[in-house]
Amino acid sequence: MLQMFLRRLAYGFLILNIMTITLFVVVRLIPGDPVRAQLGDAAVSPERIKQITAEFGLDRPVWEQLASWYTGAVRGDFGTSYSLGRPVGEVVFARLPLTIELTFIAVALAVTIGLLMGVVSAVRRNGWLDNVLRVTAVTGLSVPNFWLGLLLITFSSVVLRWVPPLEYRGFFTDPVANLAQMAMPAAALGVVLAASIARLSRSSMLEVLGADFVRTLRAKGAPERVVLFKHALRNSMLPVLTLIGVQLGALLGGTVILEQVFALPGLGRTVFEAVNNRDYPLLQMCVLLYGAIFIVVNIVVDMCYGWVNPRMRRAD
Amino acid sequence: MSDTPMTAAPPATDAAAADRMPTESRWAGLKRFVRTQPMGAVSALVILVFIVLAFGASMIAPHDPLAQDRTAILQGPSAAHLLGSDDLGRDVLSRIMHGSQISLYVGTMTIMISLLLGATLGIASGYLGGPVDAVLQGFIDAMLSIPPLILALFIASLLGPSVQNVIAALAVLTVPRFARIARGEMLRIKSEDFISAAVVLGASRTRIMLRHGLPNMVPSLIVVASLGFGTVIVAEAALTFLGIGTPPPNPSWGLMLSQGATYFQVAPWMIVFPGLAISATVLAFNLLGDALRDFFDPKLVR
Repeated sequence: MLQMFLRRLAYGFLILNIMTITLFVVVRLIPGDPVRAQLGDAAVSPERIKQITAEFGLDRPVWEQLASWYTGAVRGDFGTSYSLGRPVGEVVFARLPLTIELTFIAVALAVTIGLLMGVVSAVRRNGWLDNVLRVTAVTGLSVPNFWLGLLLITFSSVVLRWVPPLEYRGFFTDPVANLAQMAMPAAALGVVLAASIARLSRSSMLEVLGADFVRTLRAKGAPERVVLFKHALRNSMLPVLTLIGVQLGALLGGTVILEQVFALPGLGRTVFEAVNNRDYPLLQMCVLLYGAIFIVVNIVVDMCYGWVNPRMRRAD
Repeated sequence: MSDTPMTAAPPATDAAAADRMPTESRWAGLKRFVRTQPMGAVSALVILVFIVLAFGASMIAPHDPLAQDRTAILQGPSAAHLLGSDDLGRDVLSRIMHGSQISLYVGTMTIMISLLLGATLGIASGYLGGPVDAVLQGFIDAMLSIPPLILALFIASLLGPSVQNVIAALAVLTVPRFARIARGEMLRIKSEDFISAAVVLGASRTRIMLRHGLPNMVPSLIVVASLGFGTVIVAEAALTFLGIGTPPPNPSWGLMLSQGATYFQVAPWMIVFPGLAISATVLAFNLLGDALRDFFDPKLVR
């Protein structure tokens, strides 16, 4: 178990390095002048442009820039944002909590609703309720999350005459305002995941319910409630866990657009601005962080396998 | 797109296809698809409507999608403008009809590029194994670790806003996914007896990959392509919504949503209908993908 964990960790580290180096080289090869992007339309002398280029280190060969990025990174210095003039680590960690909270609420909602739908569907297999839930799920898969966000805000402002507070509030400073701001984007973000969980848990529940041990349980007179929730649900949780890991990328991508729609100052907004401003250090940091989160969560998911299913502990 | 079930009929020449009704003609296969997968057939029909709409938009649409009418700004659905008009007095219905062109074009091109590239990479990676496989998998894992929308955003933004660049960005997104499926399929096929037979008979590696590997993974690739088409349509709309995708004034569904977002309180129809168009199209592709999967692998049907 520990060996497997360490191997996964080492591989994840390798992947992060491939990602970092590729991104680093690609942004510098593709046309697009970061210095010009920072200056906007201002008329600036060629000397000044040269000076800024040197300040950013962009006049040096790519491999030299990469080496200095790495020397900084091992000391915890990931560079200074071109557009904000502050250390990128500082910028990113100030905005990360919002995105994590948004994603977390979305996942929690999706798991609750998705599992419920899946279990009900499996139990009422081929009944009208099952059909309704299945159609709901496949529809949920097809609806763009940002459109759903727009619909939610339209509905709440036009029909309910309520809009969430405009200025962003942190969870710890003003939990009520914070949750009011998070509710709609999180709901919109979670729909696709909820739909996929519903579909997956339905089929894995059906598989488990047809297994021999379930027949044995029923034969020995175990109450249906115990069969369903203690045994069947637990055994069909594994694929759902993996699914959450796989879909995490899509969720984090979704935060970019939903933070834009709901004007939330999170990491998604930051990465969007970094791309638009050609802010290489900030972009590099954001992508590194997203990659690290994705990889760590997926390792944790795989480790959970061993926890949910003891047989897996000895498998490797 | 609607005729995919026909071309998808498994090749009759291959040993592995023996359990999949080898003698069935394409026409019979299509009939069996319609009979066993009615939802899939309906979805194929919806997709056909979408294609006809895209090709015939200029003939069917009641108005010119770019024609502005200062006397009819932000009007709700009426007889003159069935789905309302936008902030410049343009007809929403006509713009949705023309918007289908970009979705269809971007979707088709992206899926074709990623099928070609992804299948090639995946087949080679799966069959050759060794260092080729290791390097390729490293890159694919690295790309799949970045949130897809952010990767697309980044590429589209670097390349600049144009339809071609959106296709390039979305292809970068989907190629690894196709490659992964093709690799998995190749690994499965590789262990089949008929591959060993081909090796013994002296078939070259290229021949084994293309004549024995590829035909046997066609069903899986078609299913992934159908599901991927929906994803691509949503991603294109998302990029355009963020202002990095297809440039204005070409009417596209994502652009309509971003313009409508400003007026959502006074003109909700500006966002409701384009979003419905996206959802309906994507739903059709998803249902078709589901139906094709059940069709190709009846063991999965429950």
